[in-house]
Amino acid sequence: MPASASEEPVQQPLQLDALGPRGEFRARNRQVVPDVTGAPAAELSLVPPPFVSRAHSALRRAEPAPPDERVRRIAAAAGLFATGTVAGLGVAEYRLLVSRVGGVPLTEVASAVDRIAERLRDIGTGLDRARPAGAVTDWRDPLVRSGRAAHTRRGDVFAVHAAGNHPGTHSLWPEALALGFRVAVRPSRREPFTPHRLVSALRLAGFGNDEIALLPTDHAGADAVLRGADLGLVYGGEDVVRKYGADPTVLLQGPGRSKVLLTADVDWRDHLDTIVDSVAGRGGTGCVNATAVLVEGDPTPLCEALAERFSALPSLPPEHPKAVLPVQPAAGARALAEYVGRRAEGTRPWLGADTVADELGDGSAVLRPAVHQLARADAPQLGAELPFPCVWVAPWTPSDGLTPLRDTLVLTALTHREPLLDRLLADPTIANLYVGDHPTHWMRPGLPHDGYLSDFLMRTKTLIRT
Amino acid sequence: MTSNTSNTWEILDLPPGVRPDPDEYIKAAMEWHFGPDTGSPYWLERAKSLDFDPRTEITSLAALVRFPNVASELRTVRAEDLIPRGYGENPDVRGVFESGGTTGAPKRVVLHGDWRRRLLHWTGEQLDAHGFPRGANWLGIVPSGPHIVGEFFRGSATTHGRHGFTIDLDPRWVKRLISGGRGGEADDYAEHVVDQAADVLRSQDIGILTVTPPILDRIARRDELVELINDKVRAIRWGGTQLDPDSRQVYRTEIFPDTVFSGNYGSTMILGFAGERPGLGDDDPCVFDTLSPYVTFSVVDPETMRPVPYGERGRVVASHVSKSFLLPNNLERDLATRVEPLDGGPGDSVADIAPVSRFENEDVVEGVY
Repeated sequence: MPASASEEPVQQPLQLDALGPRGEFRARNRQVVPDVTGAPAAELSLVPPPFVSRAHSALRRAEPAPPDERVRRIAAAAGLFATGTVAGLGVAEYRLLVSRVGGVPLTEVASAVDRIAERLRDIGTGLDRARPAGAVTDWRDPLVRSGRAAHTRRGDVFAVHAAGNHPGTHSLWPEALALGFRVAVRPSRREPFTPHRLVSALRLAGFGNDEIALLPTDHAGADAVLRGADLGLVYGGEDVVRKYGADPTVLLQGPGRSKVLLTADVDWRDHLDTIVDSVAGRGGTGCVNATAVLVEGDPTPLCEALAERFSALPSLPPEHPKAVLPVQPAAGARALAEYVGRRAEGTRPWLGADTVADELGDGSAVLRPAVHQLARADAPQLGAELPFPCVWVAPWTPSDGLTPLRDTLVLTALTHREPLLDRLLADPTIANLYVGDHPTHWMRPGLPHDGYLSDFLMRTKTLIRT
Repeated sequence: MTSNTSNTWEILDLPPGVRPDPDEYIKAAMEWHFGPDTGSPYWLERAKSLDFDPRTEITSLAALVRFPNVASELRTVRAEDLIPRGYGENPDVRGVFESGGTTGAPKRVVLHGDWRRRLLHWTGEQLDAHGFPRGANWLGIVPSGPHIVGEFFRGSATTHGRHGFTIDLDPRWVKRLISGGRGGEADDYAEHVVDQAADVLRSQDIGILTVTPPILDRIARRDELVELINDKVRAIRWGGTQLDPDSRQVYRTEIFPDTVFSGNYGSTMILGFAGERPGLGDDDPCVFDTLSPYVTFSVVDPETMRPVPYGERGRVVASHVSKSFLLPNNLERDLATRVEPLDGGPGDSVADIAPVSRFENEDVVEGVY
């Protein structure tokens, strides 16, 4: 080996190219994607406006492959995604990057990758479950001769402003591809590796450059990705709800504000694992992680128990095999802690803002769980959702009614009161109801997350032929 | 210099295409603009509050930095007061034009025939160098007024081309809609502009398109128009706002691969524009050269107002010194990379123009995404 140390080539940052209609595009305008210590992990090519325009034009012109072929390709992509070398990255390298950049514990990244693959391998079953029972998908179906509902797309091009909090969010949008949409994904600049890998795998599995595209943009260019599409999916907080809430062509995945309810007929001691898991399981960064726990009776003993359980969780770098808590750059973690401190004013801290940001000394900080006890079920903190295990525990009585339980992505109800369950199930602002010991982040392929995506993407029309 | 013979001003009236010695030129221009019989009422009055005598102390292009930036005074000066007395009773005024008005009330300048001819001659040479065919019909999707771009569009269209077709554009109205939260109406207006342009492109033999980047982006969203342009249009000249390097690359290589694509960096306050350097390669930044020494740029550190090194970024300071108009040392809003001028000419060339950037908001927003 002739090369001396000084002659070793400078290690280039990993390049995440845009994936446009003509293939990979390396922009001059590239954003550094840092890991949790602030060290550069990759450079993401940001595409300019005319690139987005032309990508949409190509997507719109493309003919979708037949349905069976689409499902076959997605299943093949699932295998590549979870086990293969894609865009130069083996799965172990990819998982490590997601963990080091997104701050999600490595074990959870590995688990999420497997769940994504599981869901994509069987995407056809999920779509069948989501279709109205009476609807057919092809005019050739013999049932059409006597008149049937047909399930058809509400457009041709679907755009996604993807989330960066957890890789699992990327298991949803491929359903649009399976339904015959051409799809443009704008990755989150916080964690672009997962959509880059998934789009690359879908292309390797047979989807054309004009059927699936990855269009990273800066903040100013993001609108164009949605604008060129017929329908869009946007993840975000209240700011995004304000911006797109009135647009019927945009499906919002807004705040989750998932909750756990315990009524007086159950003993919280029997359900502590479920509550702890709901708050902090799966890395604790999801919209399906519980933001609030409502307890009929005195919440103090539960708060004490939660604080004890959470205190025992270790502060570790995200790639450590025993890591369970999310990690962020120290400056951002401190800002979050300070925010929690301000937001928590007037509440009783069991694990307060002072212990949230636990610096690891390498520029990163573990986001340790926060537990705050609220005096009333209508305290304003109840919906304060943050990207780490941060739970607000409040007393609840039947006289408080359903109001504190509303606007909830997942409600885990630990109760035997059947009339209450009837009302919770009927409430349109509670998106999912889990009765009994199921953590709020429980999910299975074929079951809706916030309604079926196809409820938004598809429509039925009457079809009859002679 | 005390005599006002025509010979004295010869250097100010050199034929188009002949470039004077910069310092000799500046000396003569100071005599003209600050001579009691030749200067404009505005500058003769303004000179009283200067702490130097331009006729004796501004003897080189570099010395223009001693002037204060008076651009904001052009918001209120009477147009008549900007006309040099040396032009006599019947100056060849071609129009009064205004800046964009983005940073306050618009500023006004007066365009004279001699400067118009000089700039058009220079830009004609540049168009030839870029490969714009002569004798083609031009379509301009630019403001007809009050900005100067419309006047120069008509000039180039009818001297370098044959007929000039125009679609008007009112950027001030667009800015007002957007700042008022009426983005949807701004979209409708822009689409209305593109619809009108589409009609001209379909029905007329358009060989040259002059357009702003935001309108070009909208054109590129319509397959029909991309095909029409690739079919008919031989050259596109863009300007008015900036175009990022990636967009420029995508237009040049992917969307309009067989069309000449050339930019202008214009400003009403320099009474014209700088032009893209002909012959740049795909990997070169987009460099703009000025018609020096009449228009000169300097790229400076805004804190110290000193030039940054070549290849570094700074704010653009623009000076216009012609017989018809003097506006030295005007700090523009734009950032640019400082580039060596062609042939060692005076002033700087500039590349990768961009508006002064703002920092992204780092406040905590509730939510998990």
